[in-house]
Amino acid sequence: MSAGYIDELHEAFHSDFAYRSEDIPLECSPKPKEMEQTLHGVMKLNGLVIRSLEEIAGRGANAVTYRAGKKFGHEVAKYFQKREDVEGALHELSDLLRGQYSFEVWKPEDKETFIIEENGETFIYLVFHDCIVRQTLRRNGLDQGGPLCQTLFGYVVGAIEEITGRKAKLEIVHTGPNACLKKLILK
Amino acid sequence: MEIHVDKDACVGCGLCVKDCPMHVYELQNNVSVAVRPNNCMGCLSCHEICPAQALEHRGVYPARRHYIDIKVCEMLRKVI
Repeated sequence: MSAGYIDELHEAFHSDFAYRSEDIPLECSPKPKEMEQTLHGVMKLNGLVIRSLEEIAGRGANAVTYRAGKKFGHEVAKYFQKREDVEGALHELSDLLRGQYSFEVWKPEDKETFIIEENGETFIYLVFHDCIVRQTLRRNGLDQGGPLCQTLFGYVVGAIEEITGRKAKLEIVHTGPNACLKKLILK
Repeated sequence: MEIHVDKDACVGCGLCVKDCPMHVYELQNNVSVAVRPNNCMGCLSCHEICPAQALEHRGVYPARRHYIDIKVCEMLRKVI
């Protein structure tokens, strides 16, 4: 290794920035626009981890990722206001998920209310528009609805349980390139 | 939501009819017709599945697409 190259490296990692232990970082560094390569790297890595997990654990992969998502949902939502109404909880949840996922409550035109009762179950349709999971899967050419989607299911269920204290379940109705339709079943 | 089916392009394969979970489309005289456009939630699977690219949706929310590689797009723009 040449001395010139080492000097160049030292130069690249040297700055006059004063870092104090009490400093709290208030913004991303560098700017998100400069993070494209990092974002793609993280998506690629996530996709490979999920693919490998599926190869080794088979259907058990879903249980692992669901559990991880659920823990994450409980963890994040415990700092939010507790509510009994599901609509309010979904509002809290959309704030919670902002930036990673965006969703809306949805109903087919023949239904009068968003809370639907059918075949003995009560549920709400949710349409997920922006979704980091979908982006990652499409970046890696993986099928939608697999183990990585289970993290989102766990996350939503964990957060709803934490906010409302009610048990819930999320089911995929349909996946698409631009949005996915999910059913939040309330127990 | 406004859905337009290009009748000249549609090959009547019925894939959109089978794929749509909300039964937005129906085949009428071997051409797909959007009979329940208000039931469309904008997933755009029909766009992906249509071999004739005969569909157009207006008023749909376009989800963020982080997976598009800007460098690849720049290269594509040079050749397209």
